[in-house]
Amino acid sequence: MSPFGTSLRTEVGGVDLDTPVIVASGVWPMDPALWPEGSLDGVGAVCSKGLTLKPRDGNPGCRIVETYSGVLNSIGLQNSGVDHFVAQELSAFSFAGRPIIVNIAFETLDDLVETVEVLKGSALKISALELNVSCPNVTRGGMTWGIHPESLESAVTAARRAWNGILWVKLSPQAPSVGEFAELSQGCGAEAVVVGNTWLGMAIDNERERPFFENVFAGLSGPAVFPLALRAVWEAAGAVEIPVIGCGGISRPQDALSMILAGASAVEVGTALFVDSRLPASICRELERHLREKGLSSVGDLVGRARR
Amino acid sequence: MDSGMGKPGSPADRKGSLVFSRKVGENCRHIAVELSEATAPSAPGQFFLVREWGVFDPLLGRPLASTVSGNCRLEFLFQVTGRGTSRLASLTPGAALELRGPCGNGFPAPVGEKLLLVAGTLGIAPFLGAVSALGEKVDVTAVLGVPGRGWEPFTEWCEDKIPGIRLNSDDGSLGRRGDPVEDSLTLVGPGRELWGCGPEAMLRELGRAYEKGCEKVLVSLERRMGCGIGGCLSCSITTPSGMKRVCVDGPVFDWREVFGEPLRN
Repeated sequence: MSPFGTSLRTEVGGVDLDTPVIVASGVWPMDPALWPEGSLDGVGAVCSKGLTLKPRDGNPGCRIVETYSGVLNSIGLQNSGVDHFVAQELSAFSFAGRPIIVNIAFETLDDLVETVEVLKGSALKISALELNVSCPNVTRGGMTWGIHPESLESAVTAARRAWNGILWVKLSPQAPSVGEFAELSQGCGAEAVVVGNTWLGMAIDNERERPFFENVFAGLSGPAVFPLALRAVWEAAGAVEIPVIGCGGISRPQDALSMILAGASAVEVGTALFVDSRLPASICRELERHLREKGLSSVGDLVGRARR
Repeated sequence: MDSGMGKPGSPADRKGSLVFSRKVGENCRHIAVELSEATAPSAPGQFFLVREWGVFDPLLGRPLASTVSGNCRLEFLFQVTGRGTSRLASLTPGAALELRGPCGNGFPAPVGEKLLLVAGTLGIAPFLGAVSALGEKVDVTAVLGVPGRGWEPFTEWCEDKIPGIRLNSDDGSLGRRGDPVEDSLTLVGPGRELWGCGPEAMLRELGRAYEKGCEKVLVSLERRMGCGIGGCLSCSITTPSGMKRVCVDGPVFDWREVFGEPLRN
């Protein structure tokens, strides 16, 4: 049971949430036994790690470098594969008692469709599929699916055909126009778009005179990217009718409120959980406080209020 | 034996206040933190992510092994190596801190009655708690290695905490000339367990203890970390038995689990 009031209940892209705060993919263990005490408070849903058809060991070498108010990561989608997820990890993950959003990554459309087929065989409920389009399309020379309109369209269309449940698309901030790519996802049948993912950056080890990461580039997250993510959410929310889920750099309760006022129907928190496992609860308190102060009854009333 | 040793206590995020921060040589600090609420008791080898409260730059908590762990008071020993540890070293008593822990698996209670601890410089940190936790139940010998000149305040501090600690230095200015692995190999044998913490090259060399009849070698690894609780996979390592997370599968591992089967004569 959520310790928070009904004012935070919301329905986002076909998923009923007790609160609009979602744990983003890739930052939290899928075994709730490992979660720090109190960290489930205020959590409306949880995203799985990025799953692939086959198990992946992830990237070799250095995987994380701290930057100014941020973190660069190059994990490389380490995961046990979708079969293992359905057979083993999903039951533990479901113990969280929250809607489960399954994030999937893929190198080819065949991989994508096969991964979805495995998920369809799950006896446990999957509330939504979150399509990660920031992974490389190997059939296009490794270019990210989400930065080319035709690539994105083919991926979302394939996922839509294969999956008859709720489909969210987690857009890449490297896309030339977040608004257009959100609209494209909507046109291909997505129920919501998540805006967005990590920003590509890099770091150099000056002593070794080499990039820190074997893959050279890595994904930037954390408070440093919040203003960029807020702008992207604003653009996306102005372009589509389907809900936008804000994701990127939310580190304080006020950041989540800003995202919602910019047009996000819910928010995902990630890197900030590295330093504050109770952020979801703090966000909920901030949203309730703001609703009271403004005399509003539901978090839905706040969505896009800064756009008036 | 202390039945709680080595078992992971549930980690929690806690606010703390710096009680003292003392220099122990050129780049080392010994700090004590008073917590606002008690944490689960931590075993030697478990660690906390420690950061300045409410500050987003530097962002991440630094994984530090607790040297003394009480209900509401923790002590840490660390070396200043970058922005995060510089920031922690610059704080004055009363400064607010955030701590996540206790994280990971510590050293399990030794099976036998003889234990050899081998540390490379700051690798001594997790052993300070072990020596006091084990008390007189186990015959403990500690071996420390340092570069040499300039490390006197550090070695004196360690000698004060662990009387009888065997010193080794690369330049021979402190204790024996040589590295702590060679020194420890003169002491190991059947019935003696070995725990190591320090540079990875040193830990790898500790596998030679098996040749001397040592049956159990445990090592504590160090990695850059994000969440500290097994979620982000920033600290994953490749092992003969697959990918392992240093933060929750370790940081204390059986030597064989990390390095494979030792070479035997």
